[in-house]
Amino acid sequence: MSDKMEEKKLNENPASKAESYALDDERRVKVLSPGTMVAKRFFRNRIAVVGLAILAFMFLFSFLGGVLNPYKQDQLFYTTTYQKKDFAGAVKNEETRFMGAEGQKFDSIIQAQAVLGITTHKDVVTYKEVNYHITQEGEEFWSVSLDDGTIIGIAYKDVVSSSVAGASLDFPFVYEVLKAYCNDRPSFSLDGREYTISEGGLVETDGGEEVAFISRYIISAIMPDIFLSRELQEELAVALENGDEEFAFTDEDGVTSEYYISYKPDIKNWVILQETPTRTYDQYSYPNKTHPLGTDVNGMDMLARLMYGGRVSLVIGFIVEFISLVIGVILGGLAGYFGKWVDQLIMRVVDVFYCIPSTPIIIILGAAMDAMAVDPRIRMLYLMLILGFLGWPGMARLVRGQILSLREQEFMVAAEASGIRVSRRIFRHLVPNVIPQLIVSCTMGIGSTILTEATLSFLGLGVKFPFASWGNIITDVNNTFVLTNYWFIWIPAGFCILLTVLAFNLVGDGLRDAFDPKMKR
Amino acid sequence: MANEKSEYLLEVKNLKKYFPIKGGLLSHTVGQVKAVDGVSFRIKRGTTMGLVGESGCGKSTVGRTILRLLEKTDGEVIFDGEDVFSLTRQELRKMRTRMQIIFQDPYSSLSPRLPISEIIGEAVREHNLVPANEFDDYITKIMKECGLQEYHKDRYPHEFSGGQRQRICIARALALNPEFILCDEPVSALDVSIQAQIINLLRDLQKQFGLTYLFISHDLSVVEHISDTVGVMYLGSMVEFSETEKIFDHPLHPYTVALFSAIPIPDPNYKMKRIVLQGSIPSPANPPSGCKFHTRCEKCMELCKHVSPDWAEVEPGHFCACHLYNSAERNAQLEAEMKQNAAAQVKQAG
Repeated sequence: MSDKMEEKKLNENPASKAESYALDDERRVKVLSPGTMVAKRFFRNRIAVVGLAILAFMFLFSFLGGVLNPYKQDQLFYTTTYQKKDFAGAVKNEETRFMGAEGQKFDSIIQAQAVLGITTHKDVVTYKEVNYHITQEGEEFWSVSLDDGTIIGIAYKDVVSSSVAGASLDFPFVYEVLKAYCNDRPSFSLDGREYTISEGGLVETDGGEEVAFISRYIISAIMPDIFLSRELQEELAVALENGDEEFAFTDEDGVTSEYYISYKPDIKNWVILQETPTRTYDQYSYPNKTHPLGTDVNGMDMLARLMYGGRVSLVIGFIVEFISLVIGVILGGLAGYFGKWVDQLIMRVVDVFYCIPSTPIIIILGAAMDAMAVDPRIRMLYLMLILGFLGWPGMARLVRGQILSLREQEFMVAAEASGIRVSRRIFRHLVPNVIPQLIVSCTMGIGSTILTEATLSFLGLGVKFPFASWGNIITDVNNTFVLTNYWFIWIPAGFCILLTVLAFNLVGDGLRDAFDPKMKR
Repeated sequence: MANEKSEYLLEVKNLKKYFPIKGGLLSHTVGQVKAVDGVSFRIKRGTTMGLVGESGCGKSTVGRTILRLLEKTDGEVIFDGEDVFSLTRQELRKMRTRMQIIFQDPYSSLSPRLPISEIIGEAVREHNLVPANEFDDYITKIMKECGLQEYHKDRYPHEFSGGQRQRICIARALALNPEFILCDEPVSALDVSIQAQIINLLRDLQKQFGLTYLFISHDLSVVEHISDTVGVMYLGSMVEFSETEKIFDHPLHPYTVALFSAIPIPDPNYKMKRIVLQGSIPSPANPPSGCKFHTRCEKCMELCKHVSPDWAEVEPGHFCACHLYNSAERNAQLEAEMKQNAAAQVKQAG
């Protein structure tokens, strides 16, 4: 039966026919080191090779892709649009305004009496047996004086405002300015200084220094921190006077903005809108040429984030597994090789670690780190340490079990009987027999660590913004709207996790088969 | 005696090996398993001693204690004039090359991750037995002597059959150029045709290198074939020891008689007088008083139940521990002692 099969095989492959009859020594001497044998067996396993290819791709994608991709993980993308924004409000002053002279009593009752006098065209009003003389000094400009001629205040409708932001003007100056302006005099003098008033209402010293500005319009910015320059106010006043609907203005910095004026009759107000360039973040932009996978809620490039996230996920997987490997091998090895109370002690520690509910602990620690506002980079380090320290007991048990059973094998007795050193016995006989299991368990462990990390990051306990990880990319999908409309946010990241974990498991399985020397193929 | 070459390569004197039984809350010793309880024998250079007995009678423990793979409880093991148990760690390491072991299970006795050349040559290199440039040829030579081919060198144990593995084990032992090899049931795991090959290989190597074997087995026909002397063990004690011809010709101890009656004789006309022992082997943790075999002995006397028999040379070169072969005076003396002891015990109890 077997002969027949042999023949069949040979017929199928005529090239090997002659060769297979020559079962001489030379042909049999085909030296294969253990490493090549494992590699050979591994590469015969197609599924494992597929897994390896996926992993290779993921590594290139994450580590090389991050370098080649022009964008950074936390680079924000935005487009500039022009937006009309409420800029200022203007109102034509129809009310009489008052200003009291320094050191004089000019309270609201006297002001009311003065208005009464002005509207009824009386020259003198008497209040509480005091006569107040009202003198019209110019167009819509009055002064109020006592019997002895002392001016205690003025009433006016044109508004004088200082050219210097935040500065206030004193009474004699305002009085003189208005007196000149309302009588259409282009200049006046005060305290020995000459001032000129332009047609637009600008008050300058003879040296050309701007001092104040007179206008019938009261213009105030919507945002309190914006100072409306005199030029702008002047332009605006002209536009209002002319009834213009829009005008352009170039400020001191050379930025030209369009302004739109609309009159609101119900409040007798003009609303001035400024058209300004505005940056809008490219939130949830669909895949396009610049962003092959679109952008996320923050306007960050998804492809770049996916690459950097892969880096984080893979690095965390490896480091966590490395930490638990080191601790697990040392403690498990000690327990297995020395046995007795060492074994008892270490295994009880392992039992204790197994009893620790790891998920609540990680959640609590995550919350604690949130509360302490730990830097995201350091937080990532802590996450690795925590996961590593929680992950070693399984490794320790594996190593201990392996060493325990190997220690009793007769080849160990034979090694002892041959007088081989203890260190050599451990490193030549014990360790090589444990390593395959370790590699397999680590490979699979990395897969599950990536899953854990993704879960934690998804819950907001793992890797934090601005660092990307596949887990926290998916966190963005926290409502159905995003889930259904922005598939490009979560499908690639989810797919990456799926593929990577699957690939690690496939490779792990392949390695386990390859390491098994009893598997003859 | 220390340096002059004795006729005997190995002498075992009253060797005892007890294993503690741990129990209780604090895992203190609650008892002892007397795996080897006073065994004495000696092996001449270049000869083979067979050690037979039921499973669990302590044969392997004797062997491993001789090699100091286990620490003794009491007694002496003198190998070529040196007490094995008085050696320091360094001396013991040197001594290891002179005493080797071949195991029963050729599967677990070869490290699965090492190629054959490494398995055989590791200890050679460790002890610097051959110069580095001759190492390869040396391994090839040893392998050829054990019936292995050169191209086997780079193979791994799993690629070999049981018989070949056992050859590898022999090669590993032989590579250290030992004087003494402990064969711990080396053929029990092999089928009969391979057994013969291995036995013949061992015999050939013995002739070629002048090896001394301690051949542990429960297969009497194999032991008869290979051994010059035979020791029979029962429950941790040696019950009979003699040259092979003598012991197979006329066994003395009732246990040996029963044991040998189980050897099939390839003659259809021969009617076997098989002695079937009653009961099973008692626990070595709680061995019977007196002669350990008295619970199952056909010829048990009152004396046997209370007094353990002397290890006496019944015939020249034929030792046996049984009251049946005591002189009449000796028996009378022992009985008297026994009665005295019993009376004393009664008195004490009263």
